[in-house]
Amino acid sequence: MSLNAAQSTEVKTSSLPSEVQMLSLYRTMYLIRRFEETANELYMQGKIPSTLHLYIGQEAVATGVSANLRQDDYVLSTHRPHGHSLSKGVSPRVIMAELFGKATGACKGKGGSMHVGDMSVGVLPAIAIVGGNVPIAAGAALAFKMQKSGRIAVSFFGEGATNEGVWHESLNAAAIWNLPVLFVCENNLYGASTPFKTVFKIESIAQRAGAYGMPGIVVDGNDVLAVYQVAKEAVDRARSGNGPTLIECMTYRLCGHSRSDPRTYRTREEEDAWKLKDPLPNFRQYLLSNHYANEDQIKVIEQEVERSIQDAIEYAEASPVPRPEDVYTDVFKE
Amino acid sequence: MPIDILVPPLSQTMDTLVLVEWVKKVGDPVTKGETLFTVETDKATLEVEAPGTGVLRTILAKPGDEIKVKSVIGSIAEPGEVLQGTVAAVSPSPAEKSQSLGIAVSSSQPVITTIGSGGSSLPVERPGRIFASPRARRLAGQQGISLTELQSSGTGPQRAIIERDVKAYLEQQSASPRVTPVARRMAEMAGVDLRTVVPAKAGTITKADVQASLQQLGPSVSVPASEVAQGTSWKVKLTPTRKTIARRMLESHRTVAPVTYMSEVDATRLTKLRKRILRELREGADRPTITDFLVRITCLVLAQHPELNATFDGETLELHESVHMALAVDTPRGLLAPVIRNAERKGLAELAHLRSDLVDRAVKGTITPQELSDGTFTITNLGTLGIDHFTPIINTPQVAILGVGRIREVPAVKKGKIRIRQVMGLAVTCDHRIIDGAPAARFLKDICTLVERPDMIWL
Amino acid sequence: MPKMTIAEALRQAIREEMQRDERVFCIGEDIGVEGGFGGAFTVTLGLSQEFGHDRIIDTPISEAAIAGMAVGAAIAGMRPIADVQYGDFLFNMMDQLANQAAKLRYMSGGTLSVPMVMRAPVGTTGRGAQHAQSLEAFFTHVPGLKVVCPATAYDAKGLLKSAVRDDNPVLVFEHKLLYGSKGPRSEKGAISPVGEVPEEEYLVPIGKGIIRRPGKDVTIVANLLMMYRALAAAETLADHPIDVEVIDPRSLVPLDKDLILESVSKTGRLVIVEEDNLTNGWGAEVAALVSDKAFWWLDAPIKRVAAPDVPPPFAPVLEGEYVPSEQKIVDAVLSMF
Repeated sequence: MSLNAAQSTEVKTSSLPSEVQMLSLYRTMYLIRRFEETANELYMQGKIPSTLHLYIGQEAVATGVSANLRQDDYVLSTHRPHGHSLSKGVSPRVIMAELFGKATGACKGKGGSMHVGDMSVGVLPAIAIVGGNVPIAAGAALAFKMQKSGRIAVSFFGEGATNEGVWHESLNAAAIWNLPVLFVCENNLYGASTPFKTVFKIESIAQRAGAYGMPGIVVDGNDVLAVYQVAKEAVDRARSGNGPTLIECMTYRLCGHSRSDPRTYRTREEEDAWKLKDPLPNFRQYLLSNHYANEDQIKVIEQEVERSIQDAIEYAEASPVPRPEDVYTDVFKE
Repeated sequence: MPIDILVPPLSQTMDTLVLVEWVKKVGDPVTKGETLFTVETDKATLEVEAPGTGVLRTILAKPGDEIKVKSVIGSIAEPGEVLQGTVAAVSPSPAEKSQSLGIAVSSSQPVITTIGSGGSSLPVERPGRIFASPRARRLAGQQGISLTELQSSGTGPQRAIIERDVKAYLEQQSASPRVTPVARRMAEMAGVDLRTVVPAKAGTITKADVQASLQQLGPSVSVPASEVAQGTSWKVKLTPTRKTIARRMLESHRTVAPVTYMSEVDATRLTKLRKRILRELREGADRPTITDFLVRITCLVLAQHPELNATFDGETLELHESVHMALAVDTPRGLLAPVIRNAERKGLAELAHLRSDLVDRAVKGTITPQELSDGTFTITNLGTLGIDHFTPIINTPQVAILGVGRIREVPAVKKGKIRIRQVMGLAVTCDHRIIDGAPAARFLKDICTLVERPDMIWL
Repeated sequence: MPKMTIAEALRQAIREEMQRDERVFCIGEDIGVEGGFGGAFTVTLGLSQEFGHDRIIDTPISEAAIAGMAVGAAIAGMRPIADVQYGDFLFNMMDQLANQAAKLRYMSGGTLSVPMVMRAPVGTTGRGAQHAQSLEAFFTHVPGLKVVCPATAYDAKGLLKSAVRDDNPVLVFEHKLLYGSKGPRSEKGAISPVGEVPEEEYLVPIGKGIIRRPGKDVTIVANLLMMYRALAAAETLADHPIDVEVIDPRSLVPLDKDLILESVSKTGRLVIVEEDNLTNGWGAEVAALVSDKAFWWLDAPIKRVAAPDVPPPFAPVLEGEYVPSEQKIVDAVLSMF
């Protein structure tokens, strides 16, 4: 058993988001879900020149964490970055334009799906090397600490990344120097196709926190409110100078790893079981049941999201492709 | 389809020419109309243009060869064409290359290695391939040197021709060695280019050097080594020019009925006139010589004696309205007679200019065949060489020729007093088939009158 | 004008940049430990007393994290000077340097920059294959990284300052035998050049080489320790007489191409000397460049003198065969005439 692991299944009323925030949480999750589904359709239609790593099913993690962040906090993401970006306020337009490979995209067409981000809202271009973003988040946190700005950094990664050497180096460094950083592990039980149990002897990632001397918490990654509360605690801890936290969010990827994944390493029964725990309809129901909104209000939110996604598609389609000579620019800062 | 390189019919008199040099080498790109090779005719050295555009593929004649007119001496391939028998464009692998160049190649040893100029698209087998560094080629190109002149004299790595070899060659060219008179005469007779003679002792080319180089000319010259070594006679191949002169002189001798009429004329007034005229010249203008005066005088006199300004082929006598004055010129290759066309229309200054230019080019060998033909009368002046009187030979198909001897000072009696006068020997040879003695004598008398009393030129 | 060793000059550069800009800090192993060496080659000796341990940060043995954290800190507005104790350990950092530091600006469409410095000592010193590599070539080949290699005290201070002020990731390669480290950290066989270093502010621009010895018969391009061997070879060759021009490139990316091309067009001959393994070394790039741009000026094939394609050996006789000697340079030049 872990040393510092805590199971958080209850909802503590005192640290819940406000009413407005509740709807905002739903909107964010709905935006991510619809964006990813739409991107999938566009990919199937041949409009997107590369494969996609979709976030379907994991929306509650990004949403719950990012809701606690300031605009100038940093988020570092992975090869599956659309959800993190959208949750932190990156415009669907620039993500869509980047997927289309247009000059107006998040990376001017030079990054692609796996590298979307937006420095103006604190999202670094996502790092597609597994584990690669972890020391960078720690380094940014070191800078924030030195600058005494109160800013924090959040590193998102899958459970597979926790077997990378540099992950361990980074957690150790963050712990010894009390860095203001969150290490958020999205444990979706599969590293591409490799099941958790074949590559971990331990029961949960959060146990590893103790190895480095920082708190480690397991939370239901499909419960956005639970994620929100756990993240809030960790963010407060970091911002007050009390160092890093490792949060393990148990969740499930309802789609394939990439667009070329037939998911033959999972059973349909397992997938169906996790579908019942789909965070989106569950939270929708929660809002309705607890009278945070009625059906019409939710529909308004949903329609607004649909429009913004349509707008993003139109924007992307109308945008120009990069000029060939642009291949030479942005290597060095002059 | 490859384009044949034919020997053009550049000589009216000969059906073989001598190849002097190729301006391009095998493998070079060639553009239609640019100079491809040069040949020597009996009269001059001429450039021949390339008949098409492409790459010079094959060369079938080498410098010095006699080549028949209209024969094929090479070919030009269209760009990209590969002739039968050549290897397709694969550069040798580094191991092969190094082995052929004598460098040991071992994968873990070499600390020192080379990056050579890379493989090209030209066939591996190329006759006459010259190894020269890019820097050397650049300099040679700028200086207009063909690298074939430097072949096998490279001193660079792997005996390649490098910059210093080209520089040394250039220095050697500008500092031309002294040549002994005998060596020069021998070289002239044998048609040896003194630039190709390597002196045994640097700085001076001697008879022995020329003899040695004659030996190298190959089977066309048979010089038994023993004879050469003992300095006895040697056999020499006649140049085309010499052959032509020989043929024509014999022809003249055999067909013409020559009679030479001689006079001594007082040229004192003429020489004084000349001195005065020289003082009136523009700066840089050619100085009229006695020959130039004689050209002018002869033209005036020929107007009164038209039958001497004629050509006769044995059947028909053709009288000419214009005087195309041929002047005998001694050149390194032999006697040439360039022609001043329409000389009767030219003033003295212009005659001097034309004469100067023609003589200059005749000596250099750049005179054209047209300039050596269609003369109607010839003047030959051996006066500067100290000859007083001689019997000039007629320049067939002309019918007359004026020979000029030297001007010398003699005491003469004038009005009972002894004066020093300048006298000059003049001789006219006429073809008695056409011109009898009396007309010939009258002609000469009229020439002498104008020489002795040049004021009469005005009348 | 004060005279300094390269280690002292580097230390002075760090000191001045840290005084000038509070965003500058050092991060590495054993660089600030009390009573410690000041880094493996004494470069940071005394700096933690001056600036404190919050700006001279000692790390665990975590090369990848050192590099990655330098990337993150640089993006977040600091100007870190990170270092590895031995250049060979850069391989541990490869992902963070080649995949992150080098590519992040491009991948972000130019919206961020990574103003970090990574210092690394190179050169064989009898420590065996894994503490001996000269590995400039691995990084000169990565678009997005700048690479410099100062060989004199003057250049060390000037180039390190330029590297700190550059808004891009810069690798600074230093040679173990050129530091002039003293005391227990002194190196056997070190050259330890001491040079005049102005006290007043100056920078050596990145991307500019320098002619160490003008000549007209052959150009030798050589960096770090090899530059000194090239100079020695030039003295020997002067007796032949062959007049050698020695160029110290000082920066490998960006490379001072004009300087090299101009020199070769003058001399017609080029030798590149590097302590790196021969195949695909940075010398191969220079040779290809000159073959392309100065072909018609060449009077001989281009030569490279480099270490053979083997890992760096230990025994002194083997190391002597491995590291290009003055004699090998002389022989290479003679073969071109």
